[in-house]
Amino acid sequence: MPKRRDILAIVLIVLPWTLLITVWHQSAIAPLLAIRKACHHLVKEIFIIPERLAVHHHRLSDEGAEGRREAGGQDSKEYCASDKDIVEVVRTEYVYTRPPPWSDVLPTIHIITPTYSRPVQKAELTRIANTFLHVPNLHWILIEDSQRRTPLVTSLLRETGLNYTHLNVETPKNFKIRGDTRDPRIPRGTMQRNLALRWLRETFKNNSQPGIVYFADDDNSYSLELFEEMRSTRKVSVWPVAFVGGLRYESPKVNAAGKVYGWKAVFDPHRPFAIDMAGFAINLKLILSKPQAYFKLRGVKGGYQESSLLRELVTLNDLEPKAANCTKILVWHTRTEKPVLVNEGKKGFTDPNMEI
Amino acid sequence: MAARMKLKLKTVFVLYFMVSLMGLIYALMQLGQHCDCAEHDLPKDRAISRLQEELYRLQGQIRQLEKAKQPEKKQPPKSSLSTIFVITPTYARLVQKAELTRLSQTFLHVPQLHWILVEDSPRKTPLVSNFLMKSGLTYTHLNVPTAKERKLQEGDPSWLKPRGVEQRNEGLRWLREDRKTEPGDNGQQGVVYFADDDNTYSLQLFEEMRSTQRVSVWPVGLVGGMKFESPVVEGGKVVRFHTGWRPSRPFPMDMAGFAVSLRLVLANPDACFDGEAPMGFLESSLLKGLVTADELEPKADNCTKVLVWHTRTEKPKMKREEALQVQGLGSDPAVEV
Repeated sequence: MPKRRDILAIVLIVLPWTLLITVWHQSAIAPLLAIRKACHHLVKEIFIIPERLAVHHHRLSDEGAEGRREAGGQDSKEYCASDKDIVEVVRTEYVYTRPPPWSDVLPTIHIITPTYSRPVQKAELTRIANTFLHVPNLHWILIEDSQRRTPLVTSLLRETGLNYTHLNVETPKNFKIRGDTRDPRIPRGTMQRNLALRWLRETFKNNSQPGIVYFADDDNSYSLELFEEMRSTRKVSVWPVAFVGGLRYESPKVNAAGKVYGWKAVFDPHRPFAIDMAGFAINLKLILSKPQAYFKLRGVKGGYQESSLLRELVTLNDLEPKAANCTKILVWHTRTEKPVLVNEGKKGFTDPNMEI
Repeated sequence: MAARMKLKLKTVFVLYFMVSLMGLIYALMQLGQHCDCAEHDLPKDRAISRLQEELYRLQGQIRQLEKAKQPEKKQPPKSSLSTIFVITPTYARLVQKAELTRLSQTFLHVPQLHWILVEDSPRKTPLVSNFLMKSGLTYTHLNVPTAKERKLQEGDPSWLKPRGVEQRNEGLRWLREDRKTEPGDNGQQGVVYFADDDNTYSLQLFEEMRSTQRVSVWPVGLVGGMKFESPVVEGGKVVRFHTGWRPSRPFPMDMAGFAVSLRLVLANPDACFDGEAPMGFLESSLLKGLVTADELEPKADNCTKVLVWHTRTEKPKMKREEALQVQGLGSDPAVEV
């Protein structure tokens, strides 16, 4: 028996297969796929859990306040009346009037809101505070366009129980908009937003806490899902905004690879970032790493204010599309009508001491 | 020698086939297995294990708390807080979803609140149905269309015809029907409030109205052409109304400025809003059948604080959208706004 030849042949056949099997065993292909899914799933679970926990904490702490609905488990009671299609569903999810407890895992969302005195100010701030009270790990930075911090805003912030920072800077008179006409040369709220950015840079200079920065105007409408979408921002994330640019909504254009390559807008779609202030969020680390990036104050064309900041921070390629690859509307650019106060007359009919 | 060679070749092939088959099967079995590679401790893994720990910890806490509360869970929520029934008429327009979203975010903070949302539509729209399902509130979804001649046309000023009359009446009708099935005194306890979907409500307002015995009133901001409209209180009683527009009305108030106790609503089954009433008399058309002015209960610190504002949302400018739609390039209608 030609043993040597046999053995050689056998070895030549078996060797490639053993190599293949060893390589397969060492490779991390299968585990990586599992990891990505697990991470996503876990992160979503973590976000929901603190809210459910909050209710229990409250029920334990204030035994006197009965009537808080139970959380944990959804008792949905559905029944249809015979004559009309009435569906009554008893949902037992979260109900509380204080912000959810602080979590050590979630990155903080720093919300920058410029505000100014006008009749609807307190109303706007009240309802936006009601929205923010549902968001865990939220830090509200409210900047007044005034010489001094007004007592209205100070007491409102204190009463909400939110985690806040109250700043103020007055826009010089020659920058201020006359009446209500939108002067495209002077975007409203710029100095206030820049002050907030400077405050963030000074406060978190030596702090490596994860955070997300979002510019929220006080008259827009936000869904709670939006805040969870922006929490996973690595550099700058974007999503569609309703009622801007004279359209039902403006949105980034996302290709099949999940990258932003353009803007679905009619008003000057060739802007570097044809997006509204409410349509993007920035990771705090990026803000801290580029200390020269601010909103441009002067010489900014209408609609270019957002670009003046974003172009110093990211390129189009780095943008992360959220809201299901920019197909869902999670924020609406609503504007509140200026109330008609004709009956006040010249001297003012109502008691000026009553705060509205 | 040749025969041996042939045999050799056959054996070689057979051997090769067997080995490759076994190797393939082994590899396929490895595909579904849990990979035990601790040496590849990627940062993602670390993040995951950290998150998992947090998740288990929190889940454990929830389980503990739920166990502690177990005996109470079995009984139906018998709270001493009376339910606030909020009747909101709504109609389809661009800002509808935005308005309802932020309204629900306010309501989620109020315990024992039952939202009765009545659409001005012949059918329940999927937008509102889906929204209510996800809202997390206790709700009732109704709908009743407004007759064509009563409806505001495009270009009509908002004060021309009263809005939401049929819807509010439908809300009242449902409430009366529903309470018939609820026996006992507990089912009669509650407060009815008419909330429009574009106003702004502070959370304190709902706590103020909960103690309504008959009809309670408070100031409303930014209404009637003034900073606020308010009842004037002297000696704990409402003596007159501070308003700049038609103060001669029996109840010169806005819809958002009063709440009626459920008992009173059920005791007067015919009391409802009169759509034929002249402008501004809508509230009076309901209240005059329920209560007299001196029976009104003033809230909000004897009507000195503004806890609700009659805000109105601008209609978004759609000129560009309309222009695009003419060209057939309008934004995707499948995306719900």
